[in-house]
Amino acid sequence: MLQCIFLLSDSGEVMLEKQLTGHRVDRSICAWFWDQIISQGGSLKLVPVIASPTHYLFQVVREGITFLACTQVEMPPLMAIEFLSRVADVLSDYLGSLNEDLIKDNFVIVYELLDEMIDNGFPLTTEPNILREMIAPPNIVSKVLSVVTGNVSNVSNTLPGATASCVPWRKTDLRHTSNEVYVDLVEEMDAIINRDGTLVKCEIYGEVQVNSHLSGLPDLTLSFANPSILNDVRFHPCVRLRPWEANQILSFVPPDGEFKLMSYRVKKLKSTPIYVKPQLSSDSGTCRISVLVGIRNDPGKSIDSITVQFRLPPCVLSADLSANHGTVNILADKTCSWSIGRIPKDKAPSMSGTMTLETGLERLNVFPTFQVSFRIMGVALSGLQIDKLDLKNLPSRPYKGFRALTRAGEFEVRS
Amino acid sequence: MFSQFGATAESLSKASTMVFRIGTDAHLYDDPDDVSIAPLLDSKFDSEKCEALKRLLALIAQGFDVSSYFPQVVKNVASQSLEVKKLVYLYLLHYAEKRPNEALLSINCFQKDLGDPNPLVRARALRTMAGIRLHVIAPLILMAVGKCARDPSVYVRKCAANALPKLHDLRLEEHTAPIEEIVGILLNDNSPGVVGAAAASFASVCPNNLSLIGRNYKKLCETLPDVEEWGQIVLVGILLRYVVAKHGLVEGSIMLSSRSLVKYNSEREDLEPHLAMTENPGNISGEICSDIADVVSRSYLEGPEKYLSRLSCMDKNTSSMDISHFTSSKSNDDVKILLQCTSPLLWSHNSAVVLAAAGVHWIMAPKEDIKKIVKPLLFLLRSSNASKYVVLCNIQVFAKAMPSLFVPHFEDFFVNSSDSYQVKALKLEILSSIATSSSISAIFLEFQDYIRDQDRRFAADTVAAIGLCSQRLPDVAKTCLEGLLALALSESSNKDVASADEEAVLVQAINSIKTIIKQDPPSHEKVIVFLVRSLDSIWAPAARAMIIWMVGEYNNIGGVISKVLPTLFRYLGGRFTMEAAETKLQILNACAKVLLRAKGEDISILKKIGGYLLELAKCDISYDVRDRARIFKNLLSHRIGSPYLEEVQDQPEIKDLTHVLTESIFGGQTKLPSSEPLSYRFYLPGTLSQIVLHAAPGYEPLPEPCSLTYDESCDFSTDVQGIKTPGVGAAHNEPNENDDSEAVSGSLDEENTSDYSSQESMVGSSESGGSYISGSASDVNDNAGPLIHLSDADLTHRNVAEVSEENDPSGSNGVDELMSKRALESWLDENPGLNQNSSDLGHVRKSLARISIKDIGGLVKPKSYTLLDPANGNGLSVDYIFSSEVSSVSPQLVCLHVSFRNCSEEPMSDILLFEEESNRSPDSSDQSVSESSPVSRSEVSTLVPMEEIDNLEPGQTMKRILQVRFQHHLLPLKLVLVCNGRKHLVKLRPDIGYFVKPLPMDIEEFSHKESHLPGMFEYIRRCTFTDHISELNDKYESSLVKDNFLLICEKLALKMLSNANLFLVSVDMPVAANLDDLSGLCLRFSGEILSNTMPCLITLTLKGTCSEPLDVSVKINCEETVFGLNLLNRIVNFLAEPTP
Repeated sequence: MLQCIFLLSDSGEVMLEKQLTGHRVDRSICAWFWDQIISQGGSLKLVPVIASPTHYLFQVVREGITFLACTQVEMPPLMAIEFLSRVADVLSDYLGSLNEDLIKDNFVIVYELLDEMIDNGFPLTTEPNILREMIAPPNIVSKVLSVVTGNVSNVSNTLPGATASCVPWRKTDLRHTSNEVYVDLVEEMDAIINRDGTLVKCEIYGEVQVNSHLSGLPDLTLSFANPSILNDVRFHPCVRLRPWEANQILSFVPPDGEFKLMSYRVKKLKSTPIYVKPQLSSDSGTCRISVLVGIRNDPGKSIDSITVQFRLPPCVLSADLSANHGTVNILADKTCSWSIGRIPKDKAPSMSGTMTLETGLERLNVFPTFQVSFRIMGVALSGLQIDKLDLKNLPSRPYKGFRALTRAGEFEVRS
Repeated sequence: MFSQFGATAESLSKASTMVFRIGTDAHLYDDPDDVSIAPLLDSKFDSEKCEALKRLLALIAQGFDVSSYFPQVVKNVASQSLEVKKLVYLYLLHYAEKRPNEALLSINCFQKDLGDPNPLVRARALRTMAGIRLHVIAPLILMAVGKCARDPSVYVRKCAANALPKLHDLRLEEHTAPIEEIVGILLNDNSPGVVGAAAASFASVCPNNLSLIGRNYKKLCETLPDVEEWGQIVLVGILLRYVVAKHGLVEGSIMLSSRSLVKYNSEREDLEPHLAMTENPGNISGEICSDIADVVSRSYLEGPEKYLSRLSCMDKNTSSMDISHFTSSKSNDDVKILLQCTSPLLWSHNSAVVLAAAGVHWIMAPKEDIKKIVKPLLFLLRSSNASKYVVLCNIQVFAKAMPSLFVPHFEDFFVNSSDSYQVKALKLEILSSIATSSSISAIFLEFQDYIRDQDRRFAADTVAAIGLCSQRLPDVAKTCLEGLLALALSESSNKDVASADEEAVLVQAINSIKTIIKQDPPSHEKVIVFLVRSLDSIWAPAARAMIIWMVGEYNNIGGVISKVLPTLFRYLGGRFTMEAAETKLQILNACAKVLLRAKGEDISILKKIGGYLLELAKCDISYDVRDRARIFKNLLSHRIGSPYLEEVQDQPEIKDLTHVLTESIFGGQTKLPSSEPLSYRFYLPGTLSQIVLHAAPGYEPLPEPCSLTYDESCDFSTDVQGIKTPGVGAAHNEPNENDDSEAVSGSLDEENTSDYSSQESMVGSSESGGSYISGSASDVNDNAGPLIHLSDADLTHRNVAEVSEENDPSGSNGVDELMSKRALESWLDENPGLNQNSSDLGHVRKSLARISIKDIGGLVKPKSYTLLDPANGNGLSVDYIFSSEVSSVSPQLVCLHVSFRNCSEEPMSDILLFEEESNRSPDSSDQSVSESSPVSRSEVSTLVPMEEIDNLEPGQTMKRILQVRFQHHLLPLKLVLVCNGRKHLVKLRPDIGYFVKPLPMDIEEFSHKESHLPGMFEYIRRCTFTDHISELNDKYESSLVKDNFLLICEKLALKMLSNANLFLVSVDMPVAANLDDLSGLCLRFSGEILSNTMPCLITLTLKGTCSEPLDVSVKINCEETVFGLNLLNRIVNFLAEPTP
């Protein structure tokens, strides 16, 4: 089981340490770890599970913050990683986002949360809803109140009722004045297009996100019109598995607020909504580049927030790029980002320019991969359709809302 | 608002961060010690305490040692504010081990909190107390954990489960058994949340005590999907271990694939299954074994000696399994249930759960069903980068052992540019092991893109992967070769911007070419020639070395290479000095090989060049090269004809010898290894060891299959136990099938009411039992004499039944009232237990008779203690016994009979006993004795002084009554004994058994009072009672006929009454079919604490048979928990200690 958790800032400073068992872990392990990171050139390049001379380290990096956990004994590594990600999720939920200052400013809350979340190196309460009842998230009101009236405790005096109930993810006595439930299909399209423009792989990773504000203990049933297209599914613990096995129906008692009911995958899609065609040709030390972007399959709704990003190959000394639509930026780490926004009706956006190669290099030998991002509101590109949502056990008729959204996930175009 | 003042964006953002930081603890973190913390800690305001504690926490966070504040912080543990408490707990846990003595100060507070009605307070107290980790308090913690394991709050029980590993961590041998017992209780809990935590503690406390799992196996499987995610991860592993240990491996699973000769169709060639097994099985890493699946399964079970025994076991298993398909379907059922219950976990949103479940299917499922795990595993690849890596490490093993699983899903392993290098490398490796002739073209297309990747290390890996693929699929070798050659040329053209990474690609390309050529050298002769031709442009030393090696190796394979040899060697000779050492060595090697094989007209040229090269090499700066040259010179002397070695050449046998030697060194064509050498280590899927590729401490392979023999007697014994204590039995035998809502309330009391219910069921005698007992009663009466009076049990039973009906919620309609009325008691209300019990009565026909033992008081012999030894006291011996009399002066005084005996030859005078600190003169003490007016509590002196003994003749004994008020029921009282004017310091040791006085009551009153003292006021300990054994043996000798039961009852009662001042309320005797079985015998005692007149109820329940040591479970119900606990310990001590 885990012995210690450290929170490291992006400069390697240890912001917090929380010893979990009697086997104390010295901070010096963090210095070792940071040396390792420096020698590997960045925390992302380091393996998430590292065997140091004294401990096994698990690291999860979120927004520059490294969550580092140590153990000396055998344990499922994924458990540690999942737990650290859960801690990161909960913290960013509590603090609004994650950065060094936020963690330092709220270190007491972080400590209190960690204390509730893990006991003796084994996860204790990780359900966000229950945690929120045990330790109040910092908000402006309580902050101001604490300034005005002196200290107001954010530690709850009672055990949340949910810990004892059979639906531990839900408060027992919820009251909402307006009963409403929103179901969103949020899909991400992963695609790989190789250099001759053929679609190597195209699939959808989707999530059914539910935002429920319902009183009492409602029982919901969600069914799809075409569940057969789903390749894989993963469920929130609230979903009852028998009805899904039998009829592919999602039956559940929802947690309060926002949660991810289900995630799914739809594979082997045949086409992408937009095309990106890069062309690179190099000769005698310079390289001409042109990228064309356009709509291939009109999804029926407007495609917005289109950006194309790529990293200039290391052998490129300088680049001069311009576009007929949108803006082109070249960042310090040689990342070039072309933000297009929406595709105009009258012209096809294109970016072109020249790049100067290192001296002595005639032709380009490594080629960049273009990462494309876009967003389409109101459409689930997988074609998944919600059939109906039944609500039982409710005092009044609730408001039901459905939305869909597709955005690019790992959408890559190779050149 | 700010814009009105013309604020710039910068100041605005500054202001906004200011706003955000208001009310946070930012200032505390930034300068934690800018105020002095100590006075704040002593402040009477909670807010100031909080601030101080937060400052300390900030210092801890920043790595400072602030343990010096420990005493002040500990004081605050008694604070009522939960926030202060929590902060104190955080601090305490951090430093408790450093400051054990101060930490002890907090224990009392925790004890108090453990009885708090708020479950959150109880849970926190338990967590912190257990987290302090001091050996001294381990028994207290164990007690508290045992208590909390029966707490009505799920959360508290969960914390109790988590506290067990903390206790276990202290490595106290004597506690292992009770800890495991609690683990067993918690594993049987009805709340899935508790079961999960219990599984975790099982895994760290007693992972090998699989019989504990066996008892609840089905139930655990059924609750598995409801257990919370973290518990699932651990529980799945435990269940897997259990099933393997119990039923062995499943026929047709991957684990037995190679042995059962069931070949599955895959691209990989299956070796003969026996081949690998006959070789040394222990050395997994280095052994050459083509059947990866076999190695995998062997590694999972690991250990050569275990492996052998497994073989024999396996044979039995597999052979018996075919038959057992029909005879005992039970074993297969267990496996089936496990697979069934783990399959929904594959849909979990926690990747660790999915992987754990997949591991079970991988090991236990029949091969055709394993594919079930593929999609969920692949779905995990869409999660975070960190978990992606771990999942891929595991998939890699699966894919290697059973490529067919992943063959259709090769697209999932295509590399994304956002993947980390390690992930990319793993994907490549998996791709190359699952490529098939149908997918290879698509994969190669991908590879072509990867070669152009910016990460050259990855590009090099890709090239290596191409080599691997072509090795697996000889059909594509040609295409690969062409591609690789083109790549090598294009790479070599970029030599001006050569970086180390760039070079790696080229080297790897040549290496891959080499491996392809190795497969079938003759057909690739032209390739070698082609490479030789381009040698001039291939600049990387490693690559050159490899090409030259190939030339040497295959120089006489066909006609073409030998033709270019002279030219090549001329070229090499010219460049030799410019080459890298690595290349030089290979040139020498190639030279030697060529010289050995060379024929025809070229030989003279080659010899010349060879001689020249050797000469050059002898003067090289690298000693390696120099040495090599010298060796070759000697070895090849007969080929080259060296002038220096004339004398050696003269001796033909030596010449022959060198010839043979050179032949054997260079001549032997390298043979293709029969299969790719396995340098993999396999550990169980999902383990840390599998990721770091060495056995992490605590890693254990699967248990030996079938090592857990199916022990019928074991099952039987649990059944017997079930009958003995019907409450527990019911829980075991019929897991609550009520719906969840009821399960919560039902589970609360299942454990702590087990004793109640067992009592009740004992009391409740059935019709037949009653008649039986009345039949036997007369016998007993005849034989046992007047001491025993047997009353009709039916009557009392009815009474108790009425009592229980009053409390029975199912019967009464005022349940809710009842529950809400008693705030604290409600959570330990035994109603559900009674409810359960009433149904139990139907199942378990257990009869009991109530007997009363009369006149036992006369036999009570209180134990005598020595106050003063005659050796120390100049011949005066002073003994004392605790008296059952109650002081008339004050209830806080304990009466003692002190006997003074003169063992010397001379008379003694003026013997007086008084308190050490007392400065009262002996004279005044006389008065205070005569003054017998009741003294108010506060004024009670420690000792009511005794009457002085004026004279004690030799051999004479005099008795005095002493009334003492002990300060503490555990600490001895220091007294001064004056005799003949000499002072002796003596210590009077208290006996907690006499801090109570008998409280007469009847059984109804007893059970009524007992029902008011549940939960934290109730403690149970077990011990063994052996006193009766010698007596029974005596009895047989003396042939005196007396009922064994009565004798034991009497013994027990006597022992209790001789050691504690109690009232015997009742004796319930079981009337069992087995006359020797004492289980269920129950004695009840009552007492009242002298100091505060609180009742103290003691129940002894026995288990076992007459002739063997009896298992006594002692339960105490007392409002004064500390007192109760101490009394309980005392009782257990004297019960277990044999009477002299």
